[in-house]
Amino acid sequence: MPVSFFAKRGVQFWGAIAIGLLIVAVRPEAIHAQTLTGSVSSPAESAMEGVLVSAQKIGSPITITGVSDEHGRFRFPDGQLSPGHYALRIRAVGYDLDGPQAVDVGTASADVAIKLRSTTDLAAQLTNTEWLMSMPGTPQQKRPLIECMSCHTLERIVRSRYSAEAFAPVLARMAQYANNTTQARVQVRVAKRPVRDDLVRKLADYLATVNLSSGPTWPYELQTLPRPKGRATHVVITEYGLPRKTIAPHDVRTDAQGNIWYSNFVENFLGELDPRTGAHREYPIPVLKRGFPTGALDLEPDAEGNLWLAMMFQTGLAKFDMKSKTFQLFPIPRDLDNDAAQQSMVMPRASNVDGKVWTNEVAKQSIMRLDLKTGTYELIDPYQLLPKGTQHGPYGMAADAQNNLYFMDFGGEFIGRIDAKTKESTLFPTPTQNSWPRRGMLDDRGRLWFAEFAANKLGMFDTTSESFKEWTAPTPYTYPYDSFMDKNGDLWSGGMASDRVLRFDPQSGRSVEYLLPRPTNIRRVFVDNSTSPVTFWTGNNHGAEIVRLQPLD
Amino acid sequence: MTLFRAGSIALLGFALAVAALRPAFAGGVGFSDEEMNTGGDGPAFFGFVRLVDGPGIADAKVTAELKNKGALVTRTDIMGVYKIPGFGADVNPDDVTISCAKDGYKEASVQRRPHDAGDTKDPIEVECYLQKQ
Repeated sequence: MPVSFFAKRGVQFWGAIAIGLLIVAVRPEAIHAQTLTGSVSSPAESAMEGVLVSAQKIGSPITITGVSDEHGRFRFPDGQLSPGHYALRIRAVGYDLDGPQAVDVGTASADVAIKLRSTTDLAAQLTNTEWLMSMPGTPQQKRPLIECMSCHTLERIVRSRYSAEAFAPVLARMAQYANNTTQARVQVRVAKRPVRDDLVRKLADYLATVNLSSGPTWPYELQTLPRPKGRATHVVITEYGLPRKTIAPHDVRTDAQGNIWYSNFVENFLGELDPRTGAHREYPIPVLKRGFPTGALDLEPDAEGNLWLAMMFQTGLAKFDMKSKTFQLFPIPRDLDNDAAQQSMVMPRASNVDGKVWTNEVAKQSIMRLDLKTGTYELIDPYQLLPKGTQHGPYGMAADAQNNLYFMDFGGEFIGRIDAKTKESTLFPTPTQNSWPRRGMLDDRGRLWFAEFAANKLGMFDTTSESFKEWTAPTPYTYPYDSFMDKNGDLWSGGMASDRVLRFDPQSGRSVEYLLPRPTNIRRVFVDNSTSPVTFWTGNNHGAEIVRLQPLD
Repeated sequence: MTLFRAGSIALLGFALAVAALRPAFAGGVGFSDEEMNTGGDGPAFFGFVRLVDGPGIADAKVTAELKNKGALVTRTDIMGVYKIPGFGADVNPDDVTISCAKDGYKEASVQRRPHDAGDTKDPIEVECYLQKQ
């Protein structure tokens, strides 16, 4: 039977709520008509296009960013800034802010002349993508680095001074960290992972050629991507800073009232944010397995709008009732549990059809299905046809109206389908080998849009014709994590490497890449179709902030 | 053997040789788990989907099904060639059913070339013929 957390631990639950519920009251941002405008220039460029100018009111966790146009002018939308003292920062690769560092916004509009100077530390400004562009080496040598980005930036690697000999034990140690690890919160796996010494040594040898082990500067030229231009400057970005650096927002989405909900990848909380006021609240998820890494990954609504979480190494699933604001937990049974067990995904969207919720068991490279009536799980191996010992894993999930499951084969190259009635699996290889399909969404026309993480592509699988289309991301080494098709036919994506949000029109092939104000480790992407233009949301998984991107067209 | 068939076989041989240089499910050199793609492969399949007594048909759907274990679905390339990488070593190739389909066509026949049952290395050639509806 499902464990009702209320029924079993009523007092404990309320105690935990009282102790653990963190309400961070943030001063509401009053709406005023003031605005901030200005120009951006440097000794080298009199009018700089594509410079991100960010303003953060002193004491507020909210930062608003505009981008300078082709005339070097920027303008924050009317009403976005209330009167007060604002700290300014910029993002323009190759430049630092020379001044001013702050501006007062009063009752009248403020106009500020932003001056930039050439940076003395270009390396500190490079994205992971730019490091991968800069490093010498073959694609095969660079490939393992895409896993490093899950926990930290590549800057950490290239600034190190480890020789190959010194690097090897570091890599072996990090292989034992849970995938829900950040620099702010390292979590060690309980079940030890086997690590092949030859692969560790091979990677250590390579990394010692791209870091500072041989001298004080890098033995290669640092490459940078161009600044945004044209349509990519027509955007306003809002960052909502979260109250602890350890908060790692992974999946972010809106509810029917426009509130933001997010999963915390490294702590057992479900987070809520009111984007109108910045008010933030956390709901503690009970810890089921003490001593195991905490945090949840996938956050999905069911047909009634209740939220489900996949509880990673805590195992099992959690349902959050949006009315009572309480959790109901569905732990996995002992015979399926072990120290390596991990549920990263959950798909409850069509559970109202047959009373079944899909999830995965990462350690067994399998699908699991929860029966809501009995609370029991069944294990389904979708790879029975394939050779044993090969690397596949059901990851991103979507369900159709009959609750048939479509899953993305992260680590492999399949889109898979599990028939809800027969439980039979059908595998569809993507046209690109080793594409590592990661996450995506099923639209109302039966098209599964997904990111091909390792192939640097976006993909579409038409579930009716059972055929694929693929598009290469415009920037190399983007490594898209997820994709979302909006109401206008634009496909949105992002990833852990480029600090850019991709907006792509599959019909015309045209794309826009919006640069974000800070290093942003993007995972799940979400588009709110209720606004016009649409609003894009994501979490900065390593930066403890929720990011809203509002295109102006 | 017709000249067309001889050319086709040569082309297939080349394509498979190139494919063999790259493990079916492996990728980079990681320290990543994808290096674990070293499992013993079972039967692989390849062949043409073609019009009865005609040329190969591009973008036809090819399904390899193993009863009660699932299916793998792929498509032909512009020459009408398909390739299905190795199944698990425990899969008996005789239990795998190959079928093909394309809108506007119906399956006419499926012909499996003779294959040594003990040979688990060489892929099994199965031709699938379609006819217009």
